[in-house]
Amino acid sequence: MQDMTIDSYLQAGGVLTSPANVPPRYRAELMKLMATFVDSSLAGAAGFADIINDGPGIRERAAAARIVLEKTGNAERVLRIMGEFGADTARYANQHPWTARLDRNADIGATRSDHDMRLAVFNYPLTGWTDAVVMNLLMGRAVSAQLADMVRLSYQPLAAAFRTIAPVELGHADLAATGLARIINEGGADNAQAAATYWWPRVAASFGTGRPDREAALRAMGLRHSAGAKLRQTWEQTAAAELSALGLAQPRTRP
Amino acid sequence: MARFYDLTVTDIHKTIRDAVVVTLKPENGAASAFAFTQGQYLTFRREFDGEELRRSYSICAGRDDGLLQVGIKRIDGGAFSTWANQDLRVGDRLQAMAPMGAFWAPGPDGTAQQYLGFAGGSGITPVLSIMRTALAREPGSRFTLVYANRGVSSIMFREQLEDLKNLYMGRLNVIHVLEADAQEIDLFTGMVTEEKCGQLFAGWIDIANVDMAYICGPEPMMLGIAAALRAHGLDDSQIRFELFASAQPGRLKRRAATTGTASAANRTSAAVTLDGSTRSFAMDKTQSLLDAALENALDVPFACKAGVCSTCRCRVLEGEVEMAANHALEDYEVAKGYVLSCQSYPLTDNLVVDYDQ
Repeated sequence: MQDMTIDSYLQAGGVLTSPANVPPRYRAELMKLMATFVDSSLAGAAGFADIINDGPGIRERAAAARIVLEKTGNAERVLRIMGEFGADTARYANQHPWTARLDRNADIGATRSDHDMRLAVFNYPLTGWTDAVVMNLLMGRAVSAQLADMVRLSYQPLAAAFRTIAPVELGHADLAATGLARIINEGGADNAQAAATYWWPRVAASFGTGRPDREAALRAMGLRHSAGAKLRQTWEQTAAAELSALGLAQPRTRP
Repeated sequence: MARFYDLTVTDIHKTIRDAVVVTLKPENGAASAFAFTQGQYLTFRREFDGEELRRSYSICAGRDDGLLQVGIKRIDGGAFSTWANQDLRVGDRLQAMAPMGAFWAPGPDGTAQQYLGFAGGSGITPVLSIMRTALAREPGSRFTLVYANRGVSSIMFREQLEDLKNLYMGRLNVIHVLEADAQEIDLFTGMVTEEKCGQLFAGWIDIANVDMAYICGPEPMMLGIAAALRAHGLDDSQIRFELFASAQPGRLKRRAATTGTASAANRTSAAVTLDGSTRSFAMDKTQSLLDAALENALDVPFACKAGVCSTCRCRVLEGEVEMAANHALEDYEVAKGYVLSCQSYPLTDNLVVDYDQ
């Protein structure tokens, strides 16, 4: 059998299977990617937990509680893989105040906070039930668009975890869609439109700034396949169609 | 954090000239930690010339065999595999972590009826574990194994495979593809490439009804097989890989001797290598190496900044740092010069670090 370097193997679409066979730079990018998912999920769940009691009925509160439970479970699933690389998982899960948020009007673009890797969008506070449902719908669709790419990434244990997680996340967005339909039926369209206008650009920013050198490096490692801009487009189309079906307008990407 | 357990060698025998099958018994009540999933591997550690080496070997037993057994093929120049093949004896103690790895996955409907396995050389070990488990647990399942080797003499577990064929009459099909030895059927000679797979799928393997495929072997072989499987309609969730052990990084060079001098000066000149290029800058000794690198526009990796996740790991080649906290690196990594850059403050006036090692 001919020899092949790990780099050319990855370039050709190869798959890595354990911490023992990942090169150092790949390890670092993989860890960043996992930390981003874990931190976003924990921060998202923590933020949503505070909103459970705002649900207008028992079904809504049960749906919100389920979302909190399952997002926490998704975080645990990925954190376990970080643990195989040496991360102290118990300490990791408790080292940040996951409920902490910035000011509603803070302008942070796509930047992360200093001490955790949550996507910027999870640094903004929720202001109530309608706001939470709209955020969950838009972000849920965005996560699904991103997971469609991430289930193909070249670290098999993580790709498998994302394959388990993807339908769960899709379910959360579907719950949000049901919730939003009810809000609109009950005369909440104006509030919903305001929330959509607020969240749309912030969710859009979670697709990254699309620096070509970074995307090329990640693509060479098989940690990314589609460009962030292309995934964002897919999201914009599906999310806009969904809003439109509910009688809401597509907000502008720049606020 | 990684935890190692003691295991005693209860049996060791050669399966071919340069590969041994080692049976292990966990000690001190650790048996439950070694309950494994088919296709997982064990990571062993041992010191060679004062340096700790860690090597992973796949479990070859099935889940219902009541055995913890790994196959270790000798690799040229491989310290651990040579030692295991030449010097390891019944009664010896080994240290290993609990089983890890996720080669096996349930099929689309929770189980799978038609399995297809591909193994190259010692890549047979995890495939054998999956095969034994499936055949024992799922009376309705069938398994086809395509097993690539150089020649007849390098086929690991050859007799066991024959025994399994007899035990599971009609449910196990083994196709030996040999690189060097001629066989009656021309198709079974050569390497297992994408083209060869296409030919096998045309007449010998009912690819349309395969539920799950497992591939373990050298990188080019895995790429070729995966391409052929995809071309014949399998999706990514039905194709599972286990990367061959030879892809493990080679032996690490020893840590460079500490050459730097420490002075009362508050400044350090640092040289940081990332993605093949090196940048030098001066930094404060009261600043973390990570923050200094970020301030100097280096796109160095990090996540938690609390010494917990190890994303920011790098290697100190010259000079010395002090870590304020370390919850992620183990002693043997620290001994090799690895540090968590978010927690590292320079002690010497010069510092050379590398994120690429």
